[in-house]
Amino acid sequence: MSASLDRGLNAFKEQIDAPVAAFFSSCVRCGLCAEACLFYTETDEPKYTPIHKLEPLRRVWKQEYTFWGRLAKSLGLSKPVSDEMLTDWETLVYDSCTMCGRCSMVCPVGNDIAYMIRKMREGMAASGHAPEGLIGATKRAITIGSPMGVKLPALQAQIRHAEEELGFSVPVDVEGADYLLLLSSMEIMNFPEFISAVARIFKHANVSWTISSEAFEATNSGIQIGVSEIAAELVQRTVDAVAKLKVKSVISPECGHAYMAIRWEGPNLIGRPYDFKVVHILELLDELREQGRLKLSGKESQRLTYHDPCQVSRRGGVVQQPRNLMNMVAGNFVEMPETGTMNWCCGAGGGVSSNERADGLRLKAFNRKKKQLDAIHPDAIVSACSNCRIHLEDGLEEYSMDMPVLSLTETIAEHLADSEQAGSKA
Amino acid sequence: MTQISNDTEFRTALDGLDPAQQRLVAARFVENVVALCSDDRIARVIQVAGNSEASESELAEALKTARATTFDCHTRCGSEGDWTEQEGYFVARAAVAALTPAGKMPSGPAWQAALSSRMAQTSRSIVTGDDTAGQEGNQQYRILSEFLDS
Repeated sequence: MSASLDRGLNAFKEQIDAPVAAFFSSCVRCGLCAEACLFYTETDEPKYTPIHKLEPLRRVWKQEYTFWGRLAKSLGLSKPVSDEMLTDWETLVYDSCTMCGRCSMVCPVGNDIAYMIRKMREGMAASGHAPEGLIGATKRAITIGSPMGVKLPALQAQIRHAEEELGFSVPVDVEGADYLLLLSSMEIMNFPEFISAVARIFKHANVSWTISSEAFEATNSGIQIGVSEIAAELVQRTVDAVAKLKVKSVISPECGHAYMAIRWEGPNLIGRPYDFKVVHILELLDELREQGRLKLSGKESQRLTYHDPCQVSRRGGVVQQPRNLMNMVAGNFVEMPETGTMNWCCGAGGGVSSNERADGLRLKAFNRKKKQLDAIHPDAIVSACSNCRIHLEDGLEEYSMDMPVLSLTETIAEHLADSEQAGSKA
Repeated sequence: MTQISNDTEFRTALDGLDPAQQRLVAARFVENVVALCSDDRIARVIQVAGNSEASESELAEALKTARATTFDCHTRCGSEGDWTEQEGYFVARAAVAALTPAGKMPSGPAWQAALSSRMAQTSRSIVTGDDTAGQEGNQQYRILSEFLDS
């Protein structure tokens, strides 16, 4: 047995906790999870059945922790998990699963299959069976602080650009602010207008906030690749920045997995509760709406729909807030079929987007989103995850569908009642 | 003679343009930064956007090409970012904005094209370390002033 396989099998064993054991023992092989997975429904290939993607982990559980499995193993009647098996499963675990959690919603015995995939990735990464793209992103997250290699000078340049557009300063390293805004590298690189949008809204609503120059990155590739030590270190950087700046709350930006990482997994990763609150940007905007601090004017007349990012809505519970906000900006808001917690993934979450090998399959799976959109024919799609946004655009292009994809935060900023559409650039 | 000197005046003037005029002036904003995009397709689509007699089908085809260029240029989530490539990405996005029908872009095609063109210059300033990105706004004021006077 190779050292890497040994490491992987040990990692599998460490990951098999009570929930995982209970999930495997209670699976009734009904196959309902298959119909909930866009990689299965759009390919009809049985290998994409979610529970099947967990077969190596299931085999380790059975052979190590069940009476009959141990007996069969001791008599040489069961096949051990091999390097070859893990090589075969690498694409199933990383290319054809976005950890969207839709399969977990339909399981009749309540198995959280996405939770198990997350666990299985720990063993896959430990055994050296993770995609190159994710390995590179994780290395950059540790060494540079951003999976895309975004350094502080680049953020500072984007902030200067925003300040020129806004005509006022964007707060950085302000001690004692109420909120610390995190940003995803995708926002800094591809959608920097998010920074201006937030700044305009917060000025309008008189929100006290700041960005940290030492911990601005929201994403956590340690979770995507499946290395808890790295994931914990990345969470700790935010925790340290909160302590240093003495802020009360952290805002997760328009990024799906960042919210899951910092809001839901973070305290478990570092082994203690936070002494600060974490909110998604849409949760905060909806709070501002409720408090009457978000005054908008005019509505979009075009037919708008909302794409729920899986980690924000299904896994994160932020479902009603975006709808309240959509109703503020959309005169013709129309829901897709199977929306909210049962929305279909864009196909690019969970690290799939950084994995070029998965491009063909991802675009094939996008046909599911196409079917949802074909049912309502919107003029534009609004969402709250920059990764969803770029991959929705990519999928729409692939299927020759002509509709823009908008950010909900940016759309709200465009409708601020006293919108300082442009600053006082002299 | 029109003299635009800040973004408030700039945006008010843009909002006063009809959709065809928005497209024509947006094309000029993109033209001003097109050298930052190494993909020849953008130079071609901008010629279409800047042609007052372009047909609807020509504009639709140009928009399709601009969008395709955007996807070829953008930095994918989790990949190592290259700010030189981002220059091209933002120029392509500016071209997409210029060619998008007015009703489909809440902030207006010309304003969005202006912003994306500035972002292309910001990306350039990240590469070179020179703090010259702000100059693009002033050039856009001049371009719009000249457009309004023409």
